[in-house]
Amino acid sequence: MTPYLLEIGQALLALLLAPGLVGFIRWFKARLQGRRGAIPWQPYYDLRKLFGKEVVMSKNASWLFRFAPYVIFATAVAVTLLVPLVAAPLPFDAVGDLLAVVYLLLLGTFFLALAGLDPGTSFGGMGASREMTVAAIAEPTIALAIFGLAVGAGSTNLGRIVAQTLNHPGAVINPGHLLGFTALFIVMIAETGRLPVDNPSTHLELTMIHEAMILEYSGRYLALIEWAAALKLLIFFSLLSNLFLPWGVATALTPGALGVAAVALMAKLVALAAVVAVMETRIAKLRLFRVPELLGVSFVLALLSVTSSFLLR
Amino acid sequence: MNDHDTLFAQLSTLSASVTLLFGIALLWRRSLGAYIGAFRWQSLVLSAAFALIGYYGHDHELYIVAAVLLALKVLIIPRYLNRLYRRVGGEREAQPYVNIATSLIVAGLLVMLAYAITRPLVMVSKLPTRGGIPLAVGLIFVGLFVIVSRRKALTQIVGFLVLENGIALLAALCTYGIPLIIELGVFLDVLMGFLVMQVIVYHIRDTFESIDVEQLSQLKH
Repeated sequence: MTPYLLEIGQALLALLLAPGLVGFIRWFKARLQGRRGAIPWQPYYDLRKLFGKEVVMSKNASWLFRFAPYVIFATAVAVTLLVPLVAAPLPFDAVGDLLAVVYLLLLGTFFLALAGLDPGTSFGGMGASREMTVAAIAEPTIALAIFGLAVGAGSTNLGRIVAQTLNHPGAVINPGHLLGFTALFIVMIAETGRLPVDNPSTHLELTMIHEAMILEYSGRYLALIEWAAALKLLIFFSLLSNLFLPWGVATALTPGALGVAAVALMAKLVALAAVVAVMETRIAKLRLFRVPELLGVSFVLALLSVTSSFLLR
Repeated sequence: MNDHDTLFAQLSTLSASVTLLFGIALLWRRSLGAYIGAFRWQSLVLSAAFALIGYYGHDHELYIVAAVLLALKVLIIPRYLNRLYRRVGGEREAQPYVNIATSLIVAGLLVMLAYAITRPLVMVSKLPTRGGIPLAVGLIFVGLFVIVSRRKALTQIVGFLVLENGIALLAALCTYGIPLIIELGVFLDVLMGFLVMQVIVYHIRDTFESIDVEQLSQLKH
């Protein structure tokens, strides 16, 4: 019974924290740029407002348009069950490993792109085409970057990898680890639509990727998609922090250890969010045609990470 | 292997991989200023690697080498490069012979090749620093690749300097540093070579009003 409670608790924690994380980045970024900014918990109000609103839909939209937000949200929630947020190894490790995580995330992206195409607007199609361009290079890189760690741990289970790194803390400064972290960081930026790949705070036609696909959505569908996007950000942040710097993750299922793990998770999320906010303040968006080059860098780094972990074993 | 050696092994491999990271980051950039910046950071990490190997290998001459390296490759050469860059105007590496995405993949393959050819060496070696050897050889290859694939004279100079960094790193990892007098001679060579190249760049610039070496292959202009 306890393992199931743990999994449910972990998913609930992720669902609760995700909008706050997005709000914190927005608030911190505003502060860095000399603006007052909305309070960090503003996204919770936004979600409540959106859930209360009526849904307006295009006459051209099919069932797919109504179905997609649920798939996107469900895949994000399913991933939170497989990613070690507070405890490792997880009871659900036997259900799905790293590949399941990567392809569940891709399934969400796929349905988002379909939903962008469905109403037949030009923006939606443009956004979908751009998202697929990014995803085509980003997805294999996530798998490769984590494979670099999996080779060292001898397992593709994320929980097993975290437990292995906790047992051998020296592995954290391996070249494979370092290159993998850099690669995954770049991919995280591309996948969650942050600067310099996509600008999360504008609706400018020429540059938007994620926003272009969800332009047609409103009401509870929009709320679900926004929430899923926030969850995706949280998932990537916790993958980065827990896979590469696993300290604080509970290895025993005692209330004390879990409490410490939850606090450690939040501290790591805040630290990563601050890094992302500082970076977004300092750099400008890349031209779209340079994005594949940036992702190429991360792919090569991930490849080298796997090579060095494999050959230096 | 005791803890002391394990830590040394990991730190030396780490510094070698960061050095290589800057070498690869170089390939992604277009502006010549970014090339110089990446080279400066790389040299900083390299001089830290020398100090590290000096500390764990109990070779105090390496501290002197690290200090000279810091002065020469972090302060003096980047400064002259920056001056050169300002004088020749804001040219960019707009169209290298090999485009950026392909260069990155080629760089990845070159490092894998380096792993393949140094494998026998790494396997027989008992040095704690052996993990960094393939990375240093990879850096030498990447430096060579920058020289052959970029078309501005300035980026080719940076490629040469990166190649030299790779050789210095390889020497430090394999032998814990060659004798000080040879090391100093090499530094002097690099400085002289750099100064000569600088003069040539000014000549290219005066003659062709650009530092694109493509122009040199034509008899007339």
